[in-house]
This record gives sequence, structure tokens and C-alpha cells, in this order.
Amino acid sequence: MSRPVEATGLVKRFGELTAVDGIDLHVDHGEIFAFLGPNGAGKSTTVRMLVTLLQPTEGSARVAGFDVVEHAGEVRQAIGVALQDAAIDPMMTGNELLQLQSVLHGLPRSVIRRRGPELLERVGLTAAADRRVGTYSGGMRRRLDLALSLVHEPSVLFLDEPTTGLDPTSRQSLWEEVRRLNDDGTTVFLTTQYLEEADQLAGRLAIIDGGAIVREGAPGPLKAAVGSPTLRLDVAAEQRDAAHEVLGQFGPDRPCREGRVAIGLDGGSSRMADVVRALDEASIAFAHLELDAPSLDDVFADATGRRLEGALE
Amino acid sequence: MTATAAAADQRSRLRSALDQAAALSLRSIRTSFRNPVSFVPGLVFPLMLAAVYSAQFQRALGLPGFPEVDSFLDFILPASILQAVAFGATAAGADMALDMENGFFDRLLTSPVSRPSILSARLAGSAVEAAIKFVIILGIFLLFGASVKSSVPGVLVILVVSVLLAMAIGGVSLVLALRTGSQEAVNASFPLVFSVLFVSSAFFPTELMEGWYQTIAENNPITWIIDPVRRLVIEGWSWSDSLSAIGLTFAFAVATISWATFALRRRLATL
Repeated sequence: MSRPVEATGLVKRFGELTAVDGIDLHVDHGEIFAFLGPNGAGKSTTVRMLVTLLQPTEGSARVAGFDVVEHAGEVRQAIGVALQDAAIDPMMTGNELLQLQSVLHGLPRSVIRRRGPELLERVGLTAAADRRVGTYSGGMRRRLDLALSLVHEPSVLFLDEPTTGLDPTSRQSLWEEVRRLNDDGTTVFLTTQYLEEADQLAGRLAIIDGGAIVREGAPGPLKAAVGSPTLRLDVAAEQRDAAHEVLGQFGPDRPCREGRVAIGLDGGSSRMADVVRALDEASIAFAHLELDAPSLDDVFADATGRRLEGALE
Repeated sequence: MTATAAAADQRSRLRSALDQAAALSLRSIRTSFRNPVSFVPGLVFPLMLAAVYSAQFQRALGLPGFPEVDSFLDFILPASILQAVAFGATAAGADMALDMENGFFDRLLTSPVSRPSILSARLAGSAVEAAIKFVIILGIFLLFGASVKSSVPGVLVILVVSVLLAMAIGGVSLVLALRTGSQEAVNASFPLVFSVLFVSSAFFPTELMEGWYQTIAENNPITWIIDPVRRLVIEGWSWSDSLSAIGLTFAFAVATISWATFALRRRLATL
């Protein structure tokens, strides 16, 4: 049986701009695969090609076993899609939208009557079923959007930045729902700019930057490959160069935000005492010192030379 | 697959395409009625204009060259109906552009929906709205003493012309929506519809106009539609007037809807 998602050499150009620059990827049955990257990295463009909204300039992709250009109709039958910003008509009620979506997927009437209430129950919107979507909160819209993408029980689900702009509680409940769907056998392809989201949900992820995949693998091994933990030091501006010199003896530079010095600490926590002693001997006063096991942000920094964390809002 | 199974498959596909088109049409009708701002002004404005004009121009009926009518109300009836219908018709494109702006259009496109039904649903919405407006305006005019000389057959012809005109203008607005993807751009076309109506015979006979204004009005397709419709109202039944009014709006509708279908295909292909 063919893989749920398989893309080779995908390229998308808009005039002069190359948004996606030769992407190869695959997603296996039952996986949650995350596409992690900053704004404008090409995540959404890639998803839009996979869900038949955009035609690739070069390369090809098969989704649910069908070519996305040659057999777009079959692909649409097989996939569930929730794109950025929960695209739903504010003038309609949750119930009406579910009915409409079910008809658009050609479901029999008997199924339609049953499916709507089931899905609303599942995403916790039963009480809001007959309210216009315009009155929903951001989190409710996302959950309805998710329900809409599930009416035909798709085998592959595409979620483009499903939690961008949501508060932490709404984010958690959406994550739980995605996990539950995955437990029931749905393959999930999601894009995100949140490190935590990729870390929490994905069995495997690809980091995309500038239209190309720069790292790919399971979160654990990717982080392990970074090696040493990151040591960060907050220090006054006039002492930054001195601190930099001292820390340089303990490991390689790591990218970090303004006002900080960061290195990968060779030998890990066993060398912390030495670091503190060396800083003290050089009379460097520091406000804050931390040592963190490698995170996906370190993986991102290692691959791109930039930080994803804090670069968002 | 056997021949009968293939036929059954085709039938079920056709049925589901019809179901889809019906569900999408219902949606566009429903949502436009939930947003009264979108259709109430289109109804009130033509009525107000009719009231003001018939008070102002009652004496114009005596001018040499003005057609024989019982009241100015009879004269202006077709103009008011077509005005009301034309004003609402750009909503087809405006609503679709809104779908594009908020992303619902993408949701439709990622669903296994037959592409033309996305357009036909919008046009069906315009058609139903036009028919409802027709009934309301005609009802109010009759209440105030207007009469249609050609009686029921004439009324039916005017209904058909109204619906076709709404679909024709709706088609233009769909083209604008597909080309720009912006609701504001579609709404900006409204003054154009408005002025095309005013440089026609809608509110005054072209015989009494002069110079460039008369030239434009006489060559304005709206005049070619309004004049035969008006003769149905003030003179009586005529096959040739009925056929020319229907034929002209039908041709207009076919042209703009084909253009919209082409614009949709182009938009989908260049994405």
C-alpha cells in the first residue's frame, strides 16, 4: 500500500519568488508528521500543493496514493483539511456548516443526520451547534474547523498551523483531539511555528527554512544529535566580550537573542562549576545562568544559525 | 465495470452534484437573508425614487412625445423593478469575494465539489433574490394604483427578464470577484451599474432627451431591455416585445456567465 503522503522535488515559484525550493518528504501510515518552521518558510505553500489548492511548478506529490495534479478529485475525497485561520462563513451555524460539508462530500442522508451531532459532541460544541459561527471564540472556530475536516472520516488529515493565535488552554484541548484522532488511526500532517507543538505531537518532523528542509527525523534523535546542552548567560553589555572569551574555552558558540551569550557546553553539567569559577576569576558579574538539555530550538539553531523561539510574536 | 454499473455510478455522481449545487445555493440564499443590509437598501431606494419621480414628473406626461400612460407610476414600474434587481445582483460576486477573503473558498476547493456548482450556487442565490424583489416591488406598485396592461402573461415575462438580468449582472460580479478576490473591488462596481441604469430610458423616454445623452441612452442595452418591457406595462401584450426583452437578457446572461466560468477556470489553472 502506498504512503499517505509522498513528495519528490516539489518546487513552487511565484514569479521571481521561490517559495518552495525542492522538497522531498514522506509520511507513513498512522504517523503525526510536523512541518516546523518560521513564517514565510514555505510550510503553507507546501501544504497547499499537497491538498490540491496550488499546482507545483516542478516535482510531484502523491497523497493517499493519488497524484495531486492528475487525480486531484480523488485526493480531495480522501483527505481532511483545516487551513490557517479557521476558514468558515460567520453567517452560518455550526450545524449548518457540518451539513453543508457532508453534502459536499457526497455522504448519504442517513449518515449526514448522524455525523453532525457526533462530531459536534466530539469537539465539545454541542451547546453552540445552532449559534452563528460569528459568535464563536477563536478556539471554538478551530474546533469546528477540525470537525468540518472530519465529516467523511478521512484517512489523512492536514492541519495548517492549527493553534496559531490560540490561548494555552485551547491549544491543549486541540492537541488532545489530534492525539485521539491519531490513536484511532488517522495519519496527521501538521505545520507549526511552535516548537512545543512539534515536540508534543509529532512522531517525526521536518524543519523547513527558506523553502527547503534542513533537518528531518524524530524529535529525540534530532535533539540528541545537537550533542551538548546549551549554556546561556545574561550579562551587562560592557562585559559581553569578556564573557564571550571565557565561555569560548568551554564549547562552541550557539545563536541566542540580544544581551546574552550562549555556548554548547562540552561535557555537560559536570563542567558547570568550572564555568562559574572561570567567570568569577575574570570578574564577570552575571545576572542569570542556565543550562538546558538540547531542545528543538537548538536543533533549529544548529541547522539555520538562527533561533525560532522569541522570533515569533 | 459493467455498462449498467457505470451508468449507475454516473447517475449517483450526477445526483450528488445536484445535491451539492442545491446545498450551496441554499447557503447563499440563507446567508444573504441573514444580512438584511445587503438587500433592504436595494429595495427601499428604487421605491423612494419612484415616489419622488412620480410626484415630480406627473406633469411631464403631457409633454409631446411622452408615451400615452395613465400615470407616471406605470411608466416607471419596469425601471424600478430592474433597478431593485440590478442593485442586489452584485451581491453574488461580493459574497464570493468574501468567501475568498476569509478562506471559506479554499475549504470549498479542497472538498470534492464540482467547480461550476460553486458559481451556479451564487447565481441561483441572485435569481431567487431577484424573484422575491420582483414580487415585493410589483405588489407595492399595484397597491398604489399602477397597472400592467398585458396582465398575467406580461407579468411573467417581466419576472423572467428580472431573473435573467440578475444572473447576467451577477455573472459580471463573479468575474470581478474571481479576478480580484476582493469584496471591496466588487462593491466598487456598484456605481457603474447605477450609472448605466441612469443613462438609459429607465426614467425618461429617449425621445425627449437631447445631444450626447440621447445618443448614449439610445445605444444603452438597458434601454433595449426597458423599452419593450415598458410597452408590456403601458400598451399591452406583444409577442415581439416579450421575445426581444427575454432574448436580449438571456444573451447577456449567457455571455457573462460564460465569462465567469472562463475566469474561474483561469484562476484555478494559474494557482
